[in-house]
Amino acid sequence: MGGASRSEKKRRQAEANRRLAAAGIRVPPERNRTPLIVVAVVLVVAVIVGVTVLLNRASSTNVTPTYTATASGAVVTAGTGRVTIDTYEDFLCPQCERFEQRYGNDVTSALNSGQITVRFHTIAILDPSTTPPGYSTRAANAALCAVPAGIYPTFREKLFAEQPAEGSAGLTNGQLVAFATQLGAKGDFAGCVNGGTNNAAIAAETNAAAADPALQTDGQFGTPTVAINGARVDLNNTNWLKDAIAGK
Amino acid sequence: MNRGVALDVVGAVVRLGLAAVWLTSGILKAVDPDQTYVAVRAYDVLPMAGVEIVAAILPWFEIALGVLILIGAGLRLVAALSAALLLMFIAGVVQAWARGLSIDCGCFGGGGAVAAGQTAYVQELLRDIGFIVLAAWMIVRPRTLLSLDTRTEHMGRT
Repeated sequence: MGGASRSEKKRRQAEANRRLAAAGIRVPPERNRTPLIVVAVVLVVAVIVGVTVLLNRASSTNVTPTYTATASGAVVTAGTGRVTIDTYEDFLCPQCERFEQRYGNDVTSALNSGQITVRFHTIAILDPSTTPPGYSTRAANAALCAVPAGIYPTFREKLFAEQPAEGSAGLTNGQLVAFATQLGAKGDFAGCVNGGTNNAAIAAETNAAAADPALQTDGQFGTPTVAINGARVDLNNTNWLKDAIAGK
Repeated sequence: MNRGVALDVVGAVVRLGLAAVWLTSGILKAVDPDQTYVAVRAYDVLPMAGVEIVAAILPWFEIALGVLILIGAGLRLVAALSAALLLMFIAGVVQAWARGLSIDCGCFGGGGAVAAGQTAYVQELLRDIGFIVLAAWMIVRPRTLLSLDTRTEHMGRT
């Protein structure tokens, strides 16, 4: 329908209404639906955009880690690649969980294919954020216990997949041991967890990392932090891993 | 200037104010999806999958409300949706406060857990109530200068 004929129709309609009004007949004004249609369309578009972004960011199927790991103090060295990447993570830190969700598969693939070596620095800066305090250290200790138990790669992923909320009690030692048993831990994993075998090493590593100016953002050390050759990597660059592998 | 025109002007200012609030808060959330996820998760209300969905849709929903208010489309309905969303935010902050969580509301980006002494629940709630007052004005009197609603109204009347 063209604009001209539409306004012609409107004009005739108005003319008719005037005549009805003159005859004392009231015609209820027609409700204008345009704004409501605009509202519905814009809101639907917003939801579609949100869901699309979500689906684009969702990582594809989980990559199974096949790399091996050795521990020295609270630092776990994984893989044998030419490029060495240092990561600093706290198992209670929600941003670390997001980081793992976003880049975990890429890091695991690069480790599996021998492109990189990763030194996972097991940090506990969020001990005060659980009630009772101390989950960060307990989880970090359990992760280090998983190295001699031969399950570090999968256990580390499990700690993030099951990450408790800040302010909660955290996972119990019993739950940590149960996960490890499920993943096929060898040796005395429960003894290592309950005995806090690596607690001193974790405290030392945490203090060392927090005191290293090269790892700080605005004078503050936080997790996750990634460093290459001792210099902090800007994680706003979503290509940081590709760039690191390419030697940029 | 007669009273009706003056109120139309106030309405336009209210409208632009609330539009600016939604556009700012929505864009700040949309540019940092990971931070938004952490902020939503910190309320400790939803399961992981629910957090994922809310964190994905909320920024774009806020931007949509901002755009609709800016152009002035379906103002009464959009203002009511705004008020409903703000009431949900208030409920979220109140439950966090009542449960003794220490979080930043993440209202304008940021968010997540903070140290026990670093919460700002009173300010956050007062701010949200202020925004509800803006929305309430538009629910009561959606007529403002330069809105799509009034333009299409005139078209309808011819």
